[in-house]
Amino acid sequence: MQFTETLQSPPLHQISPFVVPSMNKNQIHRTRPWPGFPTSKSSLGGSFGDANCMEQLLVHCANAIESNDATLTQQILWVLNNIAPPDGDSNQRLTCGFLRALIARAANSGNCKLLSAMANVNTNMGIDTHKFSIIELASFVDLTPWHRFGFTAANTAILEAVEGYSVIHIVDLSLTHCMQIPTLIDAIATRLEGHPLVKLTVACITDGIPPMIDLSYEELGSKLINFARSRNVVLEFRVIPSTSADGFSSLFEQLRMQQIVRADNGEALVINCHMMLHYIPEETLSVVSSSTTLSSHQLESSQNASLRTMFLKRLRSLEPTVLVLVDEDADLTSNNLVSRLRSAFNYLWIPYDTVDTFLPRGSKQRQWYEADICWKIENVIAHEGLQRIERLEPKNRWVQRMRSSSFKGVSFSEDAFSEVKSMLDEHAAGWGLKREEEDLVLTWKGHNVVFATAWVPT
Amino acid sequence: MGPEGSSITSSSGSSSSCSAAARAPDHHHHHQIDQLLAGAGYSVRSSQLHQVAHRLECLENVMVHNQNIPTHLPLQYHLANDVVHYNPSDLSSWVDNLLSELHQLQPGSSASSSGLPPCAGNYESTGWSPSEFHAPPPPRNGNGNESENQQPQEVLSHVLHLMDQEDSSIQLVHVLISCAESVQCGNLPLAGSLIADLQALLTRVNTACGIGKVAGYFIDALSRRIFTAVPPGAASFMSCWASEDEILYHHFYEAAPYLKFAHFTANQAILEAFQGHDCVHVVDFNLMQGLQWPALIQALALRPGGPPLLRLTGIGPPSPDGRDSLCVIGLRLAGLARSVNVKFAFRGVAASRLEDVKPWMLEAAPNEAVAVNSILQLHKLLGPDQVHGSSSVEQVLAWIRGLNPKIVTIVEQEASHNQAEFLDRFTEALYYYSTMFDSLEACSNRADNVLAEIYMQKEICNIVCCEDSARVERHEPLAKWKARLKGAGFKPLYLGSNAFKQASMLLTLFSAEGYCIEESEGCLTLGWHSRPLIAASAWQPASD
Repeated sequence: MQFTETLQSPPLHQISPFVVPSMNKNQIHRTRPWPGFPTSKSSLGGSFGDANCMEQLLVHCANAIESNDATLTQQILWVLNNIAPPDGDSNQRLTCGFLRALIARAANSGNCKLLSAMANVNTNMGIDTHKFSIIELASFVDLTPWHRFGFTAANTAILEAVEGYSVIHIVDLSLTHCMQIPTLIDAIATRLEGHPLVKLTVACITDGIPPMIDLSYEELGSKLINFARSRNVVLEFRVIPSTSADGFSSLFEQLRMQQIVRADNGEALVINCHMMLHYIPEETLSVVSSSTTLSSHQLESSQNASLRTMFLKRLRSLEPTVLVLVDEDADLTSNNLVSRLRSAFNYLWIPYDTVDTFLPRGSKQRQWYEADICWKIENVIAHEGLQRIERLEPKNRWVQRMRSSSFKGVSFSEDAFSEVKSMLDEHAAGWGLKREEEDLVLTWKGHNVVFATAWVPT
Repeated sequence: MGPEGSSITSSSGSSSSCSAAARAPDHHHHHQIDQLLAGAGYSVRSSQLHQVAHRLECLENVMVHNQNIPTHLPLQYHLANDVVHYNPSDLSSWVDNLLSELHQLQPGSSASSSGLPPCAGNYESTGWSPSEFHAPPPPRNGNGNESENQQPQEVLSHVLHLMDQEDSSIQLVHVLISCAESVQCGNLPLAGSLIADLQALLTRVNTACGIGKVAGYFIDALSRRIFTAVPPGAASFMSCWASEDEILYHHFYEAAPYLKFAHFTANQAILEAFQGHDCVHVVDFNLMQGLQWPALIQALALRPGGPPLLRLTGIGPPSPDGRDSLCVIGLRLAGLARSVNVKFAFRGVAASRLEDVKPWMLEAAPNEAVAVNSILQLHKLLGPDQVHGSSSVEQVLAWIRGLNPKIVTIVEQEASHNQAEFLDRFTEALYYYSTMFDSLEACSNRADNVLAEIYMQKEICNIVCCEDSARVERHEPLAKWKARLKGAGFKPLYLGSNAFKQASMLLTLFSAEGYCIEESEGCLTLGWHSRPLIAASAWQPASD
């Protein structure tokens, strides 16, 4: 039963002349409908019911912010502050992350002001993302299959594709700062015949996306070279500063120039995309590329005007030997705040749920892990336009993009499947693996988490 | 500049001189007027006001009437290019400075010779002569900022207008106090003529905001008191239907953060007090539209360990048209509670006065944790009525104590509007409601503001026009309530850091800059620019 259902507004003639006569019916009873919950959902009970309630409250709060309803927003924020402590269970911590993001959004929007005093009042507000050392990051990444899944699947596909080449040029576009490379070099050293030269090109991203590392890419590169040497692999390392905001243009330019001097025989070009491509702006951003090199043909189709697809087409023009695309399977592209919030809430409960299985409460690492998730939540909820860079797309849409950029999918072999499977066995029981057509998908309690796909030019 | 420093101490037994002439008020009123002027932004003492007024007259003469001054140019230059050179809030020296400058510009003085710096190049090189003072303005230059491009006579009239306004505003306050003084002395004819003066002054100030607007309401209230035939004790002015009260309350709730602050803070304390209790009972001294309770119900629904059984007893005035409006609200809240799986029971107690409520009407059960919630109600019990030798407030506090509540949340206006002398109340109220109206102006919602102002106007009228049992807006400061509650067998329950953090966060997010929350000895106050306006505290029975 909604709060206002039985509301009767008093007949106007009862109002004495002291009251300003310009009041109309709407003004009199603009009482606020308190968000009612359908009884069927709440009867579920238990923690699942609670998560639903929290999601509902967050949705109502988002609606209230979007409609500039300060009073309702305040009321819901008050409730959320009390029921979602930052140190509660996984649902409460998830809700707390969203709550902070909503507060940040309210603070950013024109009608609300955030005083500097607030920073002192609620010390949780500033998200301190940790700067990892390489050792820290390596062990961090190993804790969970979130990245290991993509690494393992990608490595198998890469190894199959580069068999027989004497030079392997790997372009690593990865969120994890080359954490995949040591295992890849290991695999190259042990499983490939001959001693191929490995050239590694890395895009140095300056966008401040967590996880962040505390050393420069030059230092990182020399560490990798040393590691490779210890495996009898000669590694050349190159860093190209680039940004997702323009679709990694500078990286592409470098690669294109290299294409000209690429060895005619025996140089494999491997493009390894690990959770980076979703930072490239896509159609819903309505950023029209100002590049004058767009031909009229390209301008006709809005699909082609997207930087994201343009980037894939550019990669296609490099004639790569194999392209691996690994990313998170969720849709955070909606321009509607509420549907974006729902999508994000119904995906990001997963990392909060999993963290209990591999990190103890109160540990520093858990704080870092959850801080990175909070960064993501805040970016999705509190920001708009170019600042909102966490634009995850589900697997199906990526597959479409790749196909329309003249790539065709490559299946993962049975060996690959079992290799990934045995990697998963090292982790908690909730993790699972499934095939979807040619692709591999990592699951948690049956829900899709991360997908891995491999592509070759058609 | 904390709350303690800016509060006006109540004057007990100040002797005010009642003379027909507009004599300078005595020292106590000096202090109060100085406070008012300081509040309006002027650093000038009331003792200097006569002198300032005189100097302003001179200035007016010199600037407007004396056409012998050859150059308004340098004056414009000073005014436009050295706008911050003199601080107009320091009225005395500002006026003196202007006067001395203009005296320098008398014909034959050296200032009119080449020693003067050239103008900022906005005027034709032919310069000005006195006869051109009344000539039509020359064409403007295109660029440059406003002040440099203004023609001298525009600047002049603007300055005069400002000074006129400032002058009139100060006079307004001055005459208001004098009028209240004459009302206190019973000199109604004088008071009446001062009302006429005040009406005249009102035409010379901006009544859409600031002191002009507040003064308007106070003049209106004084008029009612002076000119209405009905003795002030009998009827309560601006009596309204209960439904109209609800509308005004609702708009006041929306327009300004005061009621919202009260609700959040009380709810936070109640929520924390109810931890661990499975049967809880909230007694609301003024249910109104039950705006305080949905958030608490929702928070109880999702609290760890599950929701308690919640009983709500809502007290409110009986409905005039036979509708049981309390029950309507209760039903609505019950529907909400059902939708979030909270077992809920509601009881309405219709009483036109809080002192008519008896504890047996609340049906408090022995095993339940009781929270008594009083938002802006207790001060109504401070009237002169006595029953069996004890005052209403003592009786009510006694039966609250008798309920053995887990917590008593009390929110009251932080003001001293219950002093014995009318003039003291009047002056204090003028200061308080000026601040309230200022804070309201900073909030942007026009639609709510109009009705919120009427809500406050009713309080003002009650304070100014009513006496004896009709005067219910008997606000007293927190310090007095603390003493009273301690005397009635209560001890403070400190509002925790959660309450402070929530209040600060929510208010800084959604209210204009200028509001501030302070914590002191476990109580929270919300104020405007360091003047506290509303205070929240929580109490529990002291062990015997």
